[in-house]
Amino acid sequence: MSGIEALPRRSGELAFHDEWERRVFALGVALCEQGEFDWDDFRKHLVSSIAENGETLETVKSEGPGYYEHWLTALEKTLVEQRVFVSPESLCRSEKS
Amino acid sequence: MPEKHHHEGGQNPYLEKRRTDTETRALEERVRKLEETLTSRGVVSKETLDRVVDIYENDLGPLNGAKVVARAWVDEAYRQRLLEDATKAIRELGFGGLQGEHMVVVENTLTVHNVVSCTLCSCYPWPVLGLPPTWYKEPPYRSRIAIDPRGVLREFGLELEAAVEVRVWDSSAEIRYLVLPERPEGTENFDEESLAKLVTRDSMIGVGKASEP
Repeated sequence: MSGIEALPRRSGELAFHDEWERRVFALGVALCEQGEFDWDDFRKHLVSSIAENGETLETVKSEGPGYYEHWLTALEKTLVEQRVFVSPESLCRSEKS
Repeated sequence: MPEKHHHEGGQNPYLEKRRTDTETRALEERVRKLEETLTSRGVVSKETLDRVVDIYENDLGPLNGAKVVARAWVDEAYRQRLLEDATKAIRELGFGGLQGEHMVVVENTLTVHNVVSCTLCSCYPWPVLGLPPTWYKEPPYRSRIAIDPRGVLREFGLELEAAVEVRVWDSSAEIRYLVLPERPEGTENFDEESLAKLVTRDSMIGVGKASEP
């Protein structure tokens, strides 16, 4: 019986491998929804991070950064760019605070 | 590169982690620092983050897309609106938001089968399908569906007749696609709720068909 109960609402297939992936996903979504940055700006960094790893249509990789690692890199770059903070390690006061 | 592309069971190569335990710990630390920096400055709260995870894991999902498809199957006027302006028609049912803008619905027929991918990154209509399955985000699916769609669909267990035209739609920031699968035969007397139960996530990506009753 495949019905609504059988649909992977919680994604029976792993949507996340580790808890950190879940957290970084939430950070990206929450900050975008709060208006800290535009989705398209974030997406550009996500695309370029994947491309910089040399992953194209012709060259498929099974090693190196996984999807949410690219997400993390893109988020860090976007936040620096949007001056939410100067660098990920920096403890400078946020210009938005 | 893995040859098989099956999406069930624990053997799926696309579900494999790419990083070692040591590398994972470094990533955990990197995210922990990022989260701590942002929460300590009040940019975002831990409660908000927990809520986002809960919403995206539990509330947004293929169940929403299934309701859209079932409505289109029983309501011809809605079907027309859905094909004309999907974003608006989907919002009629209360679904919208991040990654749910610029929706286009493509309809499967006896002669055309549509399948959706995102070759650049992994754009996916969250409000109606939830979070993308892991295989959708991995390069093997993204690259091979464009090159050999019939072969990939066969690996998903979907054998299409030679006469059926396969159309592959590449999602982007500008457009996100949702497949309107064919209504299964023998469901003439089904109501909307019963029909929605037959609509699988895979059928709305186009790597499968709606379930038989």
